[in-house]
Amino acid sequence: MNPKRRIALLSGDQQLHMHLELRLQSKDYQVVSLPEPSQVLGFIYSDPPDLVIIDLATPNPQFHTVLKELKQDSYFSTIPVIGLISEGAGEGVVWDQFPLDDFVSHPVRYPELFSRIQLSLQRIKRVFDNNPLTKLPGNTSIQRAIERALGKPLAVCYIDINNFKPYNDTYGFSRGDEVLRMVGRIMSNTVKETKDGGFVGHIGGDDFVFIIPLENVEQVCKTIIASFNIIVSDLFGDEDKARGHYLAKDRMGVVQKTPLLGISIAVVPTDNPLMQHAAKVVEVAAELKKLAKKSPESCYVIDRRRTNPLPAVADLPSRREQ
Amino acid sequence: MESKRTEIKRIIKDTKSLPTLPGVIAKLGALAENNSVSVHEMARVVSSDQVLSAKVLRLVNSAFYGFSGRVSTVSNALILLGVNVVKSLAISSSIFEIMEKNVVGLWEHSMGVAVAANVISKRLGLPEPEETSTAALLHDIGKVIIKIKLQEDYGHLTALINEKGLMMLEAERELLEADHAEIGEWLGQTWLLPEKLIEPIACHHDVARSRVHQTKTAVVHVSDVLIKASGFGYSGDDLVPLIQPVAWQKLGLNAELLASIVEEVEDKLVEVRNFSLDIQSNNEPKA
Repeated sequence: MNPKRRIALLSGDQQLHMHLELRLQSKDYQVVSLPEPSQVLGFIYSDPPDLVIIDLATPNPQFHTVLKELKQDSYFSTIPVIGLISEGAGEGVVWDQFPLDDFVSHPVRYPELFSRIQLSLQRIKRVFDNNPLTKLPGNTSIQRAIERALGKPLAVCYIDINNFKPYNDTYGFSRGDEVLRMVGRIMSNTVKETKDGGFVGHIGGDDFVFIIPLENVEQVCKTIIASFNIIVSDLFGDEDKARGHYLAKDRMGVVQKTPLLGISIAVVPTDNPLMQHAAKVVEVAAELKKLAKKSPESCYVIDRRRTNPLPAVADLPSRREQ
Repeated sequence: MESKRTEIKRIIKDTKSLPTLPGVIAKLGALAENNSVSVHEMARVVSSDQVLSAKVLRLVNSAFYGFSGRVSTVSNALILLGVNVVKSLAISSSIFEIMEKNVVGLWEHSMGVAVAANVISKRLGLPEPEETSTAALLHDIGKVIIKIKLQEDYGHLTALINEKGLMMLEAERELLEADHAEIGEWLGQTWLLPEKLIEPIACHHDVARSRVHQTKTAVVHVSDVLIKASGFGYSGDDLVPLIQPVAWQKLGLNAELLASIVEEVEDKLVEVRNFSLDIQSNNEPKA
């Protein structure tokens, strides 16, 4: 049996509520009315609906804030949001301030609304560049974000997980997926909670990217590593945790002592004149990663080189952190 | 007619949220206004409150996030959900309209048991002390369900306890065909909480029944008894049960060790009492 699709209705307009609710229920949607802006996010977070309809015909700055907040969280930005706007007002809307997926005019023509709802639910499955597992932006968005960052006082940071493959092989794929989701959450929460925010993306597998102002880099890397080290406690059994390693087969099929999971972060500042194009950033990041992986603990390495040719790895002025 | 047990299970299935103390919400609200609030500070306030903690754990273990049954501590939940999500969750929480002695008493009791569980786990060098104190904090969540969702029965329960001098547990079994430990277990299962939290909740009055997480269950049981004996908070009756031999043995306790644990718990309770007074001064409804 398919559970009913749930639609959350954000509007302070009582009449509109009554009408919409009746019509939508007749189409077998389950409707939840949320007239009070302060209640909306708490509700959506604890019980996410399949679609949101937001009334923008009666201006309410609080609903506008809710809309932006919702679309900022990668997990919830996948919920389609349809805006109700006053007839003919579409031309005046600054669309980048209104991250809607679609709109219908108010007063509502119901057959049109029903089609829009179905279309929105279908489209979200299709146009998605985001990684299905973590719901973070994927490679097309990442490429664009790196290009935008070139020449600015920002840093492109690559995260990957140390010893992820043996964990996946030993504990199973679904446990491995949990780890990837956790790293995605930790990274995006930490970036969002710093003063200036930034971009986060998931390349695929255990490779992630975030782009933030250079001045925040050390603090963000430290926070991500600290959070990951705390979370690791939920990923291993008591015995493995107590031993500090677990037994896993290596590539040759030989059982080896494998250290618990850690992460490495390779940080490439984009204000460096050597960073002329995105491919260069990727190349430098790959070298730094090798360096970061030499550390048995989670760590980050920052590229501080300003001249060509590349110095030997040993002379590299880098920074490591446990 | 559906049996009482079926009725309670149905009520739990429909339970999305439970009210909490206005003072806790006010405290979180004040924290949330500060833009640079850390996960650590928020975790401290959230983990003082069983309802809020249960709510946060329910969300992070929901199918939506894909960590079902995995996340068992409040600080881990906060790291994964993010400060903003927890803020919104707190702001939209419902609060107790009328502050009764029993509500505040149960809240204090739960916090006290969590503190005692932490002391015992650390003193005995047990693994996962934070998980154990989270389980301890939630051990009486079934009583919150009874108080909020079965209000009529709750009235009868208190009458029965006063008249016959029964323990809360006995009165529940007589009246509800289930007790708060079992009701808490059902809630934990419905909310997809990890087994290491559910088992201590389910078995804190019958440690022998605990199979996989018996050590955690034993700690929660002993902590519950110690806090009842200390007179801190109010868990629904004035009776202090005995420490079950199986728990005593599992933890390798002896009289001397217990005495020094009690001493340390008493010290910590002074702090908890101050925190509680602070919260209660915020409980007064604002005009």
